Amino acid sequence: MKITLTVNGERHRLDVEPRRTLADALREDLGLTGTHLGCEHGVCGACTVVVDGEPVRACLMFAVQADDAAVATVEGLAGGADGDGTLHPLQEAFSRCHGLQCGACTPGMLMTAAHLLDTEPDPDRATIRAEMSGNICRCTGYTGIVDAVADAAARRARGLRARETS
Amino acid sequence: MDHTPAAGTSVRRKEDARLLTGRGRFVSDLALPRMRHVAFVRSPVAHGRITGIDTAEALEVEGVSAVFTGEHPAIGPVALRAQSALPGYVETDQPPLARGKVRFAGEAVAAVVADDRYLAEDGAEAVVVDYEPLTPTVCAWAEPTDPVHDPVHEQAPDNLLLSRTFRAGDVDAALAGAHVVVDRELTTNRHGGNPIECRAGVARYEAADRKLTFLSGTQVPWIVRTQLAELLDLPEGNIRVIAPDVGGGFGVKAVLYPEDVALCLMAMAMPGTALKWVEDRVEHLLAATHARDHRYVLRAGFAADGELLAVQADVWCNAGAYSVYPWTAGIEPLMAGGLLTGPYKLADYRCTVRGVATNTSPSGPYRGVARPSTVFAMEALMDSGARALAMDPIALRRRNLILPADIPYRMPSRLVDDSGAYEACLDQAIATFDLERWRAEQTRRRVEGGRPLGIGVGLYNELTGLGRAASAGPRMAFRTGHDACTVRINPDGAVTVFSGVTSQGQGLETTMAQVVADALGVAYEAVEVRIGDTDQSLWGFGAFSSRQAVIGGGAAHLAGEHVRGKALALAAALREAPVEDLDLRGGQVYMAGQEKPIISLAEVAKVAYLQSDRLPEGFEPGLEGTKFYDPIRGAFAAGAQIAALEFDPATGEIGILDWVCVEDAGRIVHPVIVDGQIAGSIAQGIGGAMYEHLVYDDAGNLATGTLLDYLMPTAGEIPELRIGHVSTPAANPTGVRGVGEGGTLAPNAVVAGALADALGVEIDDLPVTPARVWELMHP
Repeated sequence: MKITLTVNGERHRLDVEPRRTLADALREDLGLTGTHLGCEHGVCGACTVVVDGEPVRACLMFAVQADDAAVATVEGLAGGADGDGTLHPLQEAFSRCHGLQCGACTPGMLMTAAHLLDTEPDPDRATIRAEMSGNICRCTGYTGIVDAVADAAARRARGLRARETS
Repeated sequence: MDHTPAAGTSVRRKEDARLLTGRGRFVSDLALPRMRHVAFVRSPVAHGRITGIDTAEALEVEGVSAVFTGEHPAIGPVALRAQSALPGYVETDQPPLARGKVRFAGEAVAAVVADDRYLAEDGAEAVVVDYEPLTPTVCAWAEPTDPVHDPVHEQAPDNLLLSRTFRAGDVDAALAGAHVVVDRELTTNRHGGNPIECRAGVARYEAADRKLTFLSGTQVPWIVRTQLAELLDLPEGNIRVIAPDVGGGFGVKAVLYPEDVALCLMAMAMPGTALKWVEDRVEHLLAATHARDHRYVLRAGFAADGELLAVQADVWCNAGAYSVYPWTAGIEPLMAGGLLTGPYKLADYRCTVRGVATNTSPSGPYRGVARPSTVFAMEALMDSGARALAMDPIALRRRNLILPADIPYRMPSRLVDDSGAYEACLDQAIATFDLERWRAEQTRRRVEGGRPLGIGVGLYNELTGLGRAASAGPRMAFRTGHDACTVRINPDGAVTVFSGVTSQGQGLETTMAQVVADALGVAYEAVEVRIGDTDQSLWGFGAFSSRQAVIGGGAAHLAGEHVRGKALALAAALREAPVEDLDLRGGQVYMAGQEKPIISLAEVAKVAYLQSDRLPEGFEPGLEGTKFYDPIRGAFAAGAQIAALEFDPATGEIGILDWVCVEDAGRIVHPVIVDGQIAGSIAQGIGGAMYEHLVYDDAGNLATGTLLDYLMPTAGEIPELRIGHVSTPAANPTGVRGVGEGGTLAPNAVVAGALADALGVEIDDLPVTPARVWELMHP
């Protein structure tokens, strides 16, 4: 089936089998291997991408279901406004707070966290833990991940306050 | 110029930029020209004779190019045989694809090669295999009244692959003289590593020059190369094993699997075609190695003052269907018998350990190997002893700890403990935890009501960085002591390190860069590290036994120092200065007493590579050096964990109110990485203690075959962890103690101990689940 996917702002035309998952279309057909597969049955969250503003398990969605949708993946996070490759504040925070070790769960964690900060600007640690609990990390024990999301949120809140007062 | 040492600071990890932006280089991500995909056909029965395999229909499936079975000429002659010279060890064969019979549900029976994974799975579905069922054995400690009907391997009619008795002193006499004797019978739950990236491999063979390249998510590329050379009958130099970014390992990927060997054999049968296999989670749960399926029958004697006088133990470890390659079925039982007594002094010890074959997935290395179970066992004995003596359980532990004055302490298993930091860890953990406050809260709840609260404690010694002496126990064909490291100054003065370590998330590129930067005298930023490629680095045994910071780090330090000496000698000759007056810092060579550098490392390197006309007499071109490090014994790391848990009588829900861990990691190279290792390992330990359980039914079917049944803890279950350090440098070049596994060792003991403490019961079986808690609270 012919579909159109807009991934990180770029339009792609694909011809896929109906059974092809969105994750495989991204990874195999578009070469965007930043979206990882951890379980392929919707539990671990490693393949989380944002489709039309909502976090989605790319292993549980068929590519054809994303026809005409806008998909955001980890490859689109960095880059800043002028595409200079600047890390997204969450990526910076994950590095600063050791929110990643092997990096397998990281893309899903980042996309889930990005959606969380877009919808809940000032989450406390309990909220972060609850919201991030759909993503399994096997390395960090989560401390660094919660620290990173809290840190990115706090910095953003400070930035917003600074802008308001200036 | 000031030069701050890189070690001891949490520099930005070298791995982070690519891993955070989706540019990691994982085997799962690889695409090569002419690449085809492999799907395995797996046995649905636990034990049965293969009476027929029909591949005709599969070969008709669109896109399928080949189907291999165990009898295929490319596969048939090869078997994996884990070898050990231990007396009584029964060697058995593991075929790359099942031959004649299947020994566990999930064993690979055939492999289908197709243009993509979807088509390969279509092909796999079309393979028809007929089985004639045999009686399966699932439990490793059947009663003597249950004779083995159909042994897993004919070489072991009683299914016993290995048995060994550790003996020290006179246990019977010591028990006879004990003031109290306590008995415990414990079981621990089978679980496994479950890294987020499952197993993965890409194999490609070039027939013209007989060269095999195997890209694999392995923790042990050099061991894999050596074993493949033997199995595939190729010169070792013709095999290149590359482990690029690997998405977690935890021991599960320290095994050379039959699927790996099958993949390479199939690639050799299809020269020029790259074959890719990426395991899915269902396969991982079924057929990657499991661990910790143990039973402990224990008796301990204590003196009236609490002194531990004797321990007698009988241990059964479920080895699964095959003796894990190349570690053998001894991996868990030998560790259990060798480390059972942990951080406690003991003279009289008798422990018989057994590795028993069953029709379940093979057991293999998993973070902590056996010790999460043995620490649970030992701490259960301590708690029982304290109850019998009416002593405070922590005072009883203190009475028996190996102390600084006892070092080096020869354990009853003859391992030599070089750490006496157990009491220091315990003291700091108790202070951080505020034990008095939690005891008061416990009492308050008992008087005023409220959810019962229990305090659990676990003390442990982690044997890290095993050198050639400590790794002698299993008597395998290789001794896993040493690693190598090459430090190369490039012509521009920057540094490339070729290290034998491998990383599955531990940040070894970063740690090795820190160690080399300091040993050499350059900035952390000037050092780039290459790991995981057998064609680039000389040698490394890989990631297991918390060995790489100790051994790979030791080699990196020695190689850095060596090349520093070479660079300074050349600088001294070039500047006609006495070498003993020179110092290399921040990539510049300084003369004692002078503020400005006399020459840069870049200038020295330029001469070494590009201006041989300027090379002084006696100097060869180039600027690099290679060193090995073997610590001979190893470094014990001490640890203590203590936690407060509450239990909801209405639901059985378990709440972790506080969790403190204090470890002696020796000198710390990267504080945040070290704490990340500890936090991650505690989380895996909590997973094993409370959630993760691989359950087989009596017929040998895995009942927990998806992540909906096999529960791994998330950010919602793991509490805030409070981690502290007691840093006593170890006697090795960098002073570090391994830190990869210690955190996993205590949670079984802590969680079970807390529940026992809260309810005044004994907890004999793991995991501790809400259902179990509810049963105990509603007897």
